[in-house]
Amino acid sequence: MPAGDAFTPDQLYDIERAVRHAEEISGLRFSVYVGGADSETRPFALELLNELEDPDHTVLVYVDPAGRRLEIVTGALAKRQLSDAAAGLAALTMQTSFATGDLTGGLVTGVQQLGTHAHQPTLLHANEPHKQ
Amino acid sequence: MITLLSGHTVLVFVGIPVLVIAVVALLVFAPSIAKGPRYRPGLSWWAPPVWINGPAVTKPDPAHLPELPGAPGTPATAGTGVARTTGGASASW
Repeated sequence: MPAGDAFTPDQLYDIERAVRHAEEISGLRFSVYVGGADSETRPFALELLNELEDPDHTVLVYVDPAGRRLEIVTGALAKRQLSDAAAGLAALTMQTSFATGDLTGGLVTGVQQLGTHAHQPTLLHANEPHKQ
Repeated sequence: MITLLSGHTVLVFVGIPVLVIAVVALLVFAPSIAKGPRYRPGLSWWAPPVWINGPAVTKPDPAHLPELPGAPGTPATAGTGVARTTGGASASW
């Protein structure tokens, strides 16, 4: 990859749109970081998560293109909505796209999948016991 | 006359093929040029870090990062801004 930006403006827009959509349907916060790690990828991803405003409700997707590593980190409360198995499925999807060089497509699809898995349907009449 | 014929010959047998090759090459490489540089697994990565929906600072300063959860001397408590027990998944390609 020659020097320059990782993504074109259109690619960034697509990823940001996927992030916004995932946040809307799940109620969680999503964050995507693409870059090298100063240390091992998992501890570095945890450090990134802790840099965010509300790490407990956040799902962080960390991609190290040079090291070819992907980490999905779910906060303490976010993991109640997004199980490790669901995160693993999304990781598999992203992994497939990344292996073919499609970073943007992998991130968009993966974040969408994470948001869908974390989606919790609203319970109708759950707060209306007098009507039961 | 001979010079003129050879000039025309060169134009027809060299100039036109070169022009055709140039047009075909342009058509082949135009999409990738328009899309910009592409990530190729296995090759080095030179682009600066990108943090989408991250904090105001684009990249954390390792010197000022909070301690990891579970690290000695940092009891994991709610509301400290540090994530408690986390989950997730890892992959490599």
